[in-house]
Amino acid sequence: MNVTERTKKLAEKAMKRRTRWTGLLLIIVSVAILEAISLVQAYYAQEGIRQEAKTKAESQLDASRSGILNIVNQVESAVRNSVWVAQWSLQVPDSLANIPKLIVNNNPLVAGSTIAMVPNYYKDRPLYSPYTAITNGEIIETSLATPEYDYPSQEWFVKPIELDRGYWSEPYVDTGGGEILMTTYSVPIKDSQGKTAAVLTADLDLEWLTALAHETKIYPGAFSTVVSRTGRLLVSPDNSLIMNTTIDEYAATVKDTAHFNALNRAMLNRETGSIQVSHNGEKNMVYYAPIDKTGWAMNIIIPEKEMFADLRKLDNLIRILQVLGLLLIIMIFRAIAKSQLRFKSLSEKKELMEGELKIASDIQMSMIPKTFPPFPERKDIDLSAALVPAKEVSGDLYDFFIRDEKLFFCIGDVSGKGVPASLLMAVTRSLFRTIGAHNDNPKDMVTSMNKSMSDMNESNMFVTFICCVLNLKTGKMQYCNAGHNAPLIFTDKISELPVNPNLPLGVIRNMEFTLQEVTLHHDDAIFLYTDGITEAENPAHELFGIQRLKETLSGRKPAQAHLDNVKKAVADFVKEAPQSDDLTMLFFHYLNNTEDNKPAQSKSMHSITLTNDISQLSRLEGLISKIAEEHHIPHPVESSINLAMEEAVTNVIMYSGSEKVNIQAESTPDEIIFTITDCGKPFDPTQAPDVDTSKVAVDRPIGGLGIHLYRKIMDSVTYKRQDNKNILTLTKKIQ
Amino acid sequence: MKTKVTKEEGQITVAFSGRLDTPAAQEANPIINPLLEEADKTIILDCKDLTYISSSGLRIFLTLRKAAEDKGGKIIVQSINDDIRSVFMMTGFLNLFEIR
Repeated sequence: MNVTERTKKLAEKAMKRRTRWTGLLLIIVSVAILEAISLVQAYYAQEGIRQEAKTKAESQLDASRSGILNIVNQVESAVRNSVWVAQWSLQVPDSLANIPKLIVNNNPLVAGSTIAMVPNYYKDRPLYSPYTAITNGEIIETSLATPEYDYPSQEWFVKPIELDRGYWSEPYVDTGGGEILMTTYSVPIKDSQGKTAAVLTADLDLEWLTALAHETKIYPGAFSTVVSRTGRLLVSPDNSLIMNTTIDEYAATVKDTAHFNALNRAMLNRETGSIQVSHNGEKNMVYYAPIDKTGWAMNIIIPEKEMFADLRKLDNLIRILQVLGLLLIIMIFRAIAKSQLRFKSLSEKKELMEGELKIASDIQMSMIPKTFPPFPERKDIDLSAALVPAKEVSGDLYDFFIRDEKLFFCIGDVSGKGVPASLLMAVTRSLFRTIGAHNDNPKDMVTSMNKSMSDMNESNMFVTFICCVLNLKTGKMQYCNAGHNAPLIFTDKISELPVNPNLPLGVIRNMEFTLQEVTLHHDDAIFLYTDGITEAENPAHELFGIQRLKETLSGRKPAQAHLDNVKKAVADFVKEAPQSDDLTMLFFHYLNNTEDNKPAQSKSMHSITLTNDISQLSRLEGLISKIAEEHHIPHPVESSINLAMEEAVTNVIMYSGSEKVNIQAESTPDEIIFTITDCGKPFDPTQAPDVDTSKVAVDRPIGGLGIHLYRKIMDSVTYKRQDNKNILTLTKKIQ
Repeated sequence: MKTKVTKEEGQITVAFSGRLDTPAAQEANPIINPLLEEADKTIILDCKDLTYISSSGLRIFLTLRKAAEDKGGKIIVQSINDDIRSVFMMTGFLNLFEIR
């Protein structure tokens, strides 16, 4: 072995050692990065899920509460509306029995009613309380003035007189007609001298309450309870507890008494909020809110195990992917280590670097969707996107996916280029996917992404980004911009989509982003791009510019053809000048032609134009009876359609100032779509406030009933203003 | 559409027949308006032959009902058919009137 060979051997050994150390370091760093990404992801996903559970629970509580209040209001107005009849009838004691009878007859919700006289109000009848009840559909008239019952000492009689206002009694179990949970609403009646004469009541059967509470299955295992003002359980999954146990008694039987007691206090104090309690060793989130008027409070209990079930699955999947990724890195590294031993000269090392960058570029490109068309089964989406990096790796990104009939898409541009930019791009894309998995509000998505990127941002890099969420059914697109250039929107012309500039992601942690909205119609399109396109330079240092871009994109073509044209136009423009920035673009053509998507049906069209004279309404009636005949629509439905249309057209004739009104009816065996068009002053009836039908007569406004009626009768009412015309579309399903 | 008013001792009966739609309500208004002064009595709205009612018709009912509340009278709605009952239901009118 001569000296040269020995030196060579030693050098090889040293290189092997160095390679091994570098390898180990690389693996340790990779593990740390992967672990950090997964921790960040887990944290934000968990926060997102908690937020989602809170929103779901609150809206469910709201819905249940307004359901209960709706019923309570109906019973209250049934009683209140009869107060004046009762006052009027005090002089004729015998006629008083009619009042409870009328209340029960006219209000399906009321199970029983009485007018109970103050003792000795009538000299000849010291106790008098005619009572009407409905049991199994049968109306029974009796009297509550019996010695055993002693009505003047009952809560429903004493409390309203004492408080001098309407009062909901503590719920009780009625043993008269089976074991039924009831509550009674009672109001004091005063005679003309202002002396309290009687109490008028209505009994409300609470069986529906259990059903209402069972609708709260927003998560598997979730349930509701309702408690009365004294803390008695009115609704509970355990029927044996209903009315038998107070929540305080229940709290004493569980381990986590402290938290249960805090919950009970909050509910009995009529507070709104949430608390975590343990029960049988499981953590649960409890959301609670008071129910007005009745003195009750309601809650929704969600087991955390169920709340985070999906997240746990996702977490396991991420772990598996991490292990696979790590194995891949080790394999790549070993392959490089082997080949590195063979290359020694500088030029060979350069090649090696390029090889590594090529691998990095491949990994990066595999993160964004590249199969086009991406949704071949969907006829309403023609989408294509492209990313042409200036260097081996890019700092641009685009991404898109469909969830719940919503298309999520985005584009972004990281400040700087090369490997650091590409790493931030990977983080951005992964945050977009993670946050988009449980949130569909672009503003919230961008706000969350900005927060987590600001937290991690030590190298002061930033990302311009625009995030869009399109409802594929309605065409409503919400978007939020973070410092990116405005996309182009294609309607009957090409224009820039108005965007609020805001600031890029990663600049200010608490940046307030703004949400914007646009409605896409059939055949509209959106083009997202990065400034690499408009700022492409030719050898004479001229910019490609937005005007050239608009010209290149003119005309309706498939998305892919548009992208190819732009690529070619930019290449022809810059000629031999080196590409200075990444070119990234996404073209989306929206094809929501509902007519095309529907199977052919026997369809008929009618159209009439009326002048602004009320007497013309008989022609509308004629049109509707013709359609009713064609589709064999039953009489009551025809009559209600007639009413809805008369109301809608009358409003136009009387108030719009338009000389003519056109009514178009398009009918299939399933539905009739009426379109009312006029050239009068703009008026959007869908924005009119709804009439409160539970109010008493004096408080009821005379107007507004017409709009209320057609909104109730029709299945959908939509309004748009177009070409200085009011266009109101009313749809009625007939099957 | 016909609107017929019969007055008896302390009681007025208004019999509607046919369709009480917007044009018909405009015709009925001059017949009904004088009755608002007499809303301290019992007014019976007889709907036995009434086949259809729109919001303009409902407005007449509500105006009478408000006048009765002011003046201490009473409005009774008599014999409504199922179509009209459902319109009363949708608008909350069932609880505003004594219905026979």
